[in-house]
Amino acid sequence: MMDTYANPWAYRAQWAYLLIIVGALMAPVFYTIYISFNEHGFGAQIYDFTWDWYVVLFRNQQIIDSLSWTAYLGAATILTAVPMGLIAAKYYKRTRHKVVFVTLMLSPLFVPADILGSALLVYFKNLNRAFEWLGDSLGVTWFYGWFELGFFTALVGLILWTVPYAFVVILITMSRYRVQQTEAARSCGATAWQAFWQIEFPQIRVGVFSASAFVFILSFNEYTRTSLLKGGFDTFTTVLISHMFNTGMSGDSYAMGGLVSVISMAVIGAVLVYTLAKAERLEREARAKAEPVAA
Amino acid sequence: MSQNADNAVEVIDLSKNYGPVAALKEVSFSIESGKYFVLLGPSGGGKTTLLRLIGGFIKPSAGTVLLHGRDVTDLAPNERPTSMVFQSYALFPHMSVAKNVGYGLKLRRMRKAELDERVEEMLAMVGLEGYGARMPHELSGGQQQRVQLARSLVLQSDVLLLDEPLAALDAKLRKDMCLELKRIQEKVGITFIHVTHNQEEAMTVADRIAIVAGGELVEQGAPRDVYERPVRRFTADFIGENNLFDGRVTKTGGNAATVDLDFATVQALNGNGLAAGQAVALSIRSELLGLLTPADAENGGLQTIPAEYLEEVYLGLTTSHLVRLPNGQEIMVRTLSNGEAAATFEPGQTVTVGWKTEAARLHPD
Ligand SMILES: Nc1ncnc2c1ncn2[C@@H]1O[C@H](COP(=O)(O)OP(=O)(O)OP(=O)(O)O)[C@@H](O)[C@H]1O
Ligand SMILES: [Mg+2]
Repeated sequence: MMDTYANPWAYRAQWAYLLIIVGALMAPVFYTIYISFNEHGFGAQIYDFTWDWYVVLFRNQQIIDSLSWTAYLGAATILTAVPMGLIAAKYYKRTRHKVVFVTLMLSPLFVPADILGSALLVYFKNLNRAFEWLGDSLGVTWFYGWFELGFFTALVGLILWTVPYAFVVILITMSRYRVQQTEAARSCGATAWQAFWQIEFPQIRVGVFSASAFVFILSFNEYTRTSLLKGGFDTFTTVLISHMFNTGMSGDSYAMGGLVSVISMAVIGAVLVYTLAKAERLEREARAKAEPVAA
Repeated sequence: MSQNADNAVEVIDLSKNYGPVAALKEVSFSIESGKYFVLLGPSGGGKTTLLRLIGGFIKPSAGTVLLHGRDVTDLAPNERPTSMVFQSYALFPHMSVAKNVGYGLKLRRMRKAELDERVEEMLAMVGLEGYGARMPHELSGGQQQRVQLARSLVLQSDVLLLDEPLAALDAKLRKDMCLELKRIQEKVGITFIHVTHNQEEAMTVADRIAIVAGGELVEQGAPRDVYERPVRRFTADFIGENNLFDGRVTKTGGNAATVDLDFATVQALNGNGLAAGQAVALSIRSELLGLLTPADAENGGLQTIPAEYLEEVYLGLTTSHLVRLPNGQEIMVRTLSNGEAAATFEPGQTVTVGWKTEAARLHPD
């Protein structure tokens, strides 16, 4: 009979497998970052380290503008999608129709990005036309252009895309929470808001932070929906991709790619470190307190 | 509206519908201040619904809730002078035991020194001295319920609501906690309303028991009255080990009634002014029945019916004898195991079951 412990190769193979998978997935990303620091760009024989491509990038007003639009969109998506995910998770805990509710909540994930994006595009165009027609018939114009493509429509696309993720991430951290805890707090004299803020929220804080980071990355990296719905302005990703299509890869495209990867990894890394540190602290506290009480 | 401030709780025509389900149907009753009141009944009867209506966790479809004469029907739980102990999962898992117990006091902005003192006092009262620094998940089920109790009691609310507080505990622990609940209630002197479907638990703690079933308050009274003198057929069936016979009153006179049980005719006390011709149920607790020798049956002045002996079940303190009546109904006769009535019966033997006239009760419904 084989003894796993006596056979170091089985164990090593597991690690090798893991490293190969991660390596295969991440190698192109790291290679992009590597090239972005080469003065001579992709395919050159010699490698001379430089920050120049990044300097070029940050001197480009179009890039700076797109970065700020990206940041606004990301912030607005966090501020709407995360509370919506939280409310959905709270509702899920209470409802009796869990399967139906989850299916509805996750349905935006089942629709391909380009279908959802173009469907929304058509929807907004029609809404816009309807509102203009309504405005003309009523002789009022203040709601003209509410649904013209722009920040708001791009935001709606991103919310639809990110709410399911926020919902699931928060729901996972809600496992310890029970409705009785809120009721107990209420019966101790807490208002509905106090019960939420002091009893429910501390238990799901990690979930809310992770969901925020997740939502930010999703909105930051989103191309299809945003490019269909954004209207006039550009986000970082749409600039990067149109750049690639129109002029091909150049030194600054690699720098842009590098920037996207670094920001994404930094956000995810920060969340991971925070969550792990928090988990470890909780466990340490629990162990300290579990020491027998002196009689 | 009869508003009596001596009543800690008064509910008037309280109803609750969940869609087409009527969980509670126009229930009215009142609870005297300082009493240990138990809501007892079968599962799905509406006990929790009633308790949560009193606590304000759900809104009634109709009716009024008064606490010390004040109408609180439209107030949220935190605005009512009640606090609640839940069956389980109600401790705040991210707070230590001391923080859990002090939570309500902290909301009232009590000074820290006084708060700590009160929390310690309460933990001592529930037998958890020195457990303040623990987290809820480091406690046993029984200890967790004690913490919940302390968290509610420390607020000195007028009314404490307990929904199956002991249901998650094992039988032995439940018994101990019952006695302790009773002791604590007597000590603090506030009104307790305790929901359970466990009869023994109810008998142990209650000053008064209300039977709740089918969304109605069937009957209420002191534990002894409910046990020994149930008025409604449902109560007789639910409490104790009662044998029920269906019959019809054939004759009344004085305070006696003659009841035709089809296979026998017996006499019973007519406490509820029944008239001849009325359908009734006759109930007798199994320990008030006896298996008679022919001699006893002749001269005892007892009510008797014939039966066929089936089997005996030895239960330690008592022995149960299963017998079959001529109409096919099987009933239980319970005797003390040690008595000299060591007369043994063979399965299939014809026996006579007898009882004192006043042991039987008639239920018109
Ligand atoms: N949220 C709800 N939605 C729909 N029906 C409900 C709801 N809560 C309770 N009911 C129904 O109301 C009736 C009374 O329920 P309740 O919980 O008050 O019973 P109970 O006496 O406490 O029972 P148990 O001993 O099982 O706890 C039941 O038929 C139940 O199915
Ligand atoms: Mg219940």
